[in-house]
Amino acid sequence: MTAATTRLSSRFSLPQLSSRQQLGAFLLALLLAFAWLVPWLFDADPARQQLTRILQAPSLAEPFGTDHLGRSMLARLAAAIRLSLGMALLSVATAAIPGVLLGVVAGWRGGWSDRLLGSLADACLALPGLLLVLLLVAIAPGNFWALYVGISLVLWIEYFRVVRARTQALVTSPQIEASRLLGFGPTMLFRRHLWPELAPQVFTLAAFGAASAILAMAALGFVSVGLRPPTAELGLMMIELLPYYHEAPWAMAQPIIVLFVVVMSLNLLAGKDPR
Amino acid sequence: MTSRWTQGLGRLLLSRLFQAGLVAWLVGTLTFILTRSLPGDMAYRIAAGRYGYDMVDGAAAEAVRAELALDQPAAGAYFSWLWDLLQLDLGRSLVSGNPVIQELSHQLGHSLSLAIIAVLLSLLIGPPLGLVAGLKPGGMLDRSSEVAANVLRALPPFAVGLLLIMLFAVTLGWLPVAGHGSALHNVLPALTLALGLAAVSSRVARNAMADVSHSAYYAFSRTKGLNERQSFMRHGLRNAAVPVVAYLGVQFVYLIEGVVVVETLFAWPGIGHALVHAIVARDVPMIQGTALVMGLLFVMLNTAVDIACHFLDPRRRHA
Amino acid sequence: MTSMTLTTTLLSVEALTVDGDGVSIAPITFALEAGQRLTLLGETGSGKSLIAQAIMGTLPNGLTTSGQLTIASHTCAAADTTSRRALWGRTLALLPQEPWNALDPTMRALPQVAETHRYVAGRSKPDANSAARDDLIQLGLEEGLNKLPGELSGGMAQRVAFAAASAAGASIVIADEPTKGLDAPRRDDVVKLLAKTPDAGGALLTITHDIDVARRLGGEVIILRQGQVVERGPAEQLLNQPQTEYAQRLLSAEPSRWSDPSPFSHQASSPVVSASGLGIARGGRQLFSELDVAVRPGEIVGVVGPSGCGKSTLGDILLGVAKPGAGSVIYQDGMPRLGRQKLYQDPPAAFSPHWTLNQLLEDLLRRHQFEYRAVAPLMERLGLNQHLLDRRPGEISGGELQRFAILRVLLLKPRFLFADEPTSRLDPVTQQQTLSLLIELAREQACAVMLVSHDPALIAKVCDRQLALAG
Repeated sequence: MTAATTRLSSRFSLPQLSSRQQLGAFLLALLLAFAWLVPWLFDADPARQQLTRILQAPSLAEPFGTDHLGRSMLARLAAAIRLSLGMALLSVATAAIPGVLLGVVAGWRGGWSDRLLGSLADACLALPGLLLVLLLVAIAPGNFWALYVGISLVLWIEYFRVVRARTQALVTSPQIEASRLLGFGPTMLFRRHLWPELAPQVFTLAAFGAASAILAMAALGFVSVGLRPPTAELGLMMIELLPYYHEAPWAMAQPIIVLFVVVMSLNLLAGKDPR
Repeated sequence: MTSRWTQGLGRLLLSRLFQAGLVAWLVGTLTFILTRSLPGDMAYRIAAGRYGYDMVDGAAAEAVRAELALDQPAAGAYFSWLWDLLQLDLGRSLVSGNPVIQELSHQLGHSLSLAIIAVLLSLLIGPPLGLVAGLKPGGMLDRSSEVAANVLRALPPFAVGLLLIMLFAVTLGWLPVAGHGSALHNVLPALTLALGLAAVSSRVARNAMADVSHSAYYAFSRTKGLNERQSFMRHGLRNAAVPVVAYLGVQFVYLIEGVVVVETLFAWPGIGHALVHAIVARDVPMIQGTALVMGLLFVMLNTAVDIACHFLDPRRRHA
Repeated sequence: MTSMTLTTTLLSVEALTVDGDGVSIAPITFALEAGQRLTLLGETGSGKSLIAQAIMGTLPNGLTTSGQLTIASHTCAAADTTSRRALWGRTLALLPQEPWNALDPTMRALPQVAETHRYVAGRSKPDANSAARDDLIQLGLEEGLNKLPGELSGGMAQRVAFAAASAAGASIVIADEPTKGLDAPRRDDVVKLLAKTPDAGGALLTITHDIDVARRLGGEVIILRQGQVVERGPAEQLLNQPQTEYAQRLLSAEPSRWSDPSPFSHQASSPVVSASGLGIARGGRQLFSELDVAVRPGEIVGVVGPSGCGKSTLGDILLGVAKPGAGSVIYQDGMPRLGRQKLYQDPPAAFSPHWTLNQLLEDLLRRHQFEYRAVAPLMERLGLNQHLLDRRPGEISGGELQRFAILRVLLLKPRFLFADEPTSRLDPVTQQQTLSLLIELAREQACAVMLVSHDPALIAKVCDRQLALAG
């Protein structure tokens, strides 16, 4: 890559992706294309049962075969990916925005607001994340919103902690002090000094956070306390197909492979672990 | 001398004690909200679950209602709920009718043995592999263990468990699929958890070792005249161990989550399995008991990590 | 030049080269006999540290070396690194750069020295411990025996590292930038420490950018520039009558040889900033108290004192960034908030690395409604080329960036400028250029300057008067 394009892309603040991240982005793009093109190209309903055609092996008509209720695996996988990624996007956004804002406030202001927000984060961390989500889900079983609130409640802490630590270090740094002395206000200090440092870390946390949101939802589906059938959800599909392992190992393998590729693509996209 | 070793330890233990209190309060409050959000006929359904549908009557349902304090005003009920919790009076299971404490004491042993075997197994696999890989960053072992770790990190514990079942139990027939009893039953669930833990700890150890082996002090220990083994034992091991042990605290989150899922998959009669069952059956006292024990277990494990770090890293004793 | 009798030559280097990764060292030859000292002197980037690494056999991957080495009667090719492993510590000792980082952060000072006695010199455990204790006490580290490196000062860490490196009695000591980051008194201590080796019949090879260190060490000096030997000879002769143009330039950049600045002529005017009865404590320690300061327009006041004595804190108080614990600060009437500015020690740290200089300049112009036209003449005065504006702070040299910092500050027409060691990270030649420009412009604009430096010669040369803070 030449110096000119490097400069150009950073002026428009396009992230510079490593080859690892490019692979992740490519895999994710494939998944997105699959999830949104399938309902558009195939006339397949993830909920339509055809009890005469259960556990059929992949064929031309059903490229991924059918499950134990004769439902199209193709349609169910596409629906499950849409659900997982949609949920991940929603909870990451819900966690990242307050996480970053509160982190900047705590790191910048210090004092009591820092202590207050810090204890709030510690309180959310007192329980392992999935346990907190489980308890919330127990209050409203099978409810998408309980799941979403629980996962976001666990995720925001990481943004908060990383952003707070970085902001604390930057606020006392010569670069910000110099700009302050030159007469720049908080907005400019944030744009020129804080955000360029925070953005790559927030991006990495977002990718890891999306992966953990998807894993958490699948884990709850798998132990039958998450979303309820007949929703097409990866963890739920695994546990439903588990009894038919002998007859249709290919059916059982599909949600595992899809979950693996989704999480792998996000982990690759995240790049280096900031911790 | 002793005062130098224990300096700062008290404050550390105090903050963990505070966390334990927080866990109890959080679990108590969330389960209390749970009792309040139960639909109206819940007392009936729970009574039916306990005595069978034929036996259930108004009196039985009333007993359940009283047990969960469904008939009292919210504020008072909340405080008596927390008061019971404080006295470790966890009530009786709504499903089996046995005291929750009694149920937990059975399950805790099973979960602990699974968790301990898994952690030990992961420590045998992960850190040694990572330390060796970190001595030669970019080498064959480093790169292949990185790929393996990336694959394992993208697979949740239940998927790893499923794959292990398919391989060892169903295809090869070497090990039992699920259940509990002989030592062989331990192998698959413990291995499932251990692989996930080792995937992360091997990379943490690798990065720690690579940092140490590139550090100025490691180079200096060698130019001072120490040989490779002496440098590694005196300056490499402890400095690399500090982040690995500290990261164990983060890994225990994975362990607790893994216990829930893996016990369910392997029908392992532990706390995690019991928690999932209780949630499905809406057995509130059991939910409270199991969540409380798992939360406290998490705090205890983290306390152990804190103490280990405290003795491993002299810098912490001076902070 | 190398009049060697085989028995006394401890280190002999013949036609040593280093290549690769954008650096190259032209063949260099020298020899050190028992009791001799040799100093390699050069600016950063002259490749002098690579010579030390090539002799030790610790060159980073990707660099190749050739030539012949004779180390205490062991002769080997420079490229053959494994054969020198056995000499480390026993015959050949390396005193590392930045001793703070070279000590194991989780091990106390005593065992770090004792392990050399034990494992390298082969003493028994109690003997090793008592020998290490004696070494450290002799170096004045009695109270540091049981401290961790993080609790030692830079000078103390240097002495611990010296004891650890030389405990096994190596006769050849290589010191790589041993005075980096130390203030003047500590620097003199290190020179005395280093001189112990040749005085005891060993050989000392020192690598430094500090002309003063070379002068104090004496012996032979080799001046290097971009991997080439520029000039060599006895210290006395070379450092007083350099023959080559580069050596002359390098030596004339020493503060004591600078030409005098124009005299201060605003004696009568009222002070820009005056403070009385200032006092402040940091971390439970009183840094200074009952301090009175006043600076007049155009006056250059030097601030000196050992590291950690509160020089930067005094600056923060006078700038209004920090509040004093006691006393008060009064500014001249009509002093705007932007009239107080600061220059930083490490130029890259004072800029966000993500934006081009042009962007930063535009921000400033927009914020304060300046005309772009005002910028060009000042840039020219500061010797800043227009094309530099397309680069980011990390992409230009430290000297250029510090001059850009001066440009930004001077555009605001400050009345008071606190310059916190603004040239300590710059090469001597660049340091001289930068400082003389700063002083010239400050005099012109009648801007008062407080200049912090750890170099007493520099302060004595450029400042109208100085303020000494005690430790």
